[in-house]
Amino acid sequence: MAAAMAVRALRALPHIRIPALPASCSLHTTPPRLKTRAARVRVGKGDKAVTYEKAHPPHYIAHRKGWLSLHTGNLDGERCAAQRAVEDSFVRRFLHGTFPGCLADEAVLKRRSNSLLVCLLLLRRLPPSKLCFLLGYAETLLSHLYKCPVRIEAQTVPDAAVYKYL
Amino acid sequence: MAARCLWRRLCQGSSFPVSYASRVMQKQCFLPNMDLVGGRFSGSHVHTEEPKTNPLVSISDEPEVLYRRLSLLVKGHDRAVLDSYEYFAVLAAKELGITVEKVHKPPKKIERLTLLKSVHIYKKHRVQYEMRTHYTCLELKHLTGSTAAVYLEYVERNLPEGVAMEVKKTKIEKIPEHIQEPVWDTLPQVEEAEVKS
Repeated sequence: MAAAMAVRALRALPHIRIPALPASCSLHTTPPRLKTRAARVRVGKGDKAVTYEKAHPPHYIAHRKGWLSLHTGNLDGERCAAQRAVEDSFVRRFLHGTFPGCLADEAVLKRRSNSLLVCLLLLRRLPPSKLCFLLGYAETLLSHLYKCPVRIEAQTVPDAAVYKYL
Repeated sequence: MAARCLWRRLCQGSSFPVSYASRVMQKQCFLPNMDLVGGRFSGSHVHTEEPKTNPLVSISDEPEVLYRRLSLLVKGHDRAVLDSYEYFAVLAAKELGITVEKVHKPPKKIERLTLLKSVHIYKKHRVQYEMRTHYTCLELKHLTGSTAAVYLEYVERNLPEGVAMEVKKTKIEKIPEHIQEPVWDTLPQVEEAEVKS
């Protein structure tokens, strides 16, 4: 133990070279505070159904995941990224409230030269007439709020697609 | 005249993809339709039809503006999207008869941010984010003003979401008249004035 500590102390000084002793090997664990918890679903007992979007942590974006919001604000030399981010968060909250419990997955927001295209995946919880009304209401209200043409393309699915159980 | 021809070519080709989104669907049926178009015209007898005046086409007597080079720099986060868009733009240019000088991919730029991981204290623990911008540059040669207007309108309307484009045009202008001849040739020759007494 003392030898291992001495070796470690000597190794900390860069100009002194010592041969690596095979006897000193210590278990190095990350303290609980240091783990990143951003956008990760923690492994549980296996009863939590998780979609493809939620199952992958953010370092898989552009590798296994795509983007949920597509605009040019974050490109090199382009402006107004913050405004787009605020608009996106408002639209997502608005949709979450307008279609209570009906959203199968996160909405995909696409901006094409002034128009906003919202792609929704909805569960078949509401009757079609109510769904049509809510879609028209959302489109009209959002286009009046943001002063730009807003189109919603909705697709209904019987169940949210499950990728994993965690 | 040039504008009229271009618009006619655009409107006639039913195989010409109307929008970028339908390009993938139309790609397969592109070649057979071209043959059909060629067949239709070669088999018809000589019709002396008067060209129908298209209300969208405006013909003016002003001389055409000439561009030596039209450079499109396309930026995006996803290289696959940029490759697909480059295929579409090159196809559109070839269809309109525009010579594509060069298609190259400048290296990507990565903008990195290092932020504090925690809301309060823990200065030693940080989080790093990065934003990658990929580029594709398309250079077209020797265009007229109306060709450039048509091509740019088509290509800009079909820009995918999350992709930005910068256009640089290099115009060819005539040398202004006051520089065309050297100054020493234009000065009037000094003549000895006869003094009339």
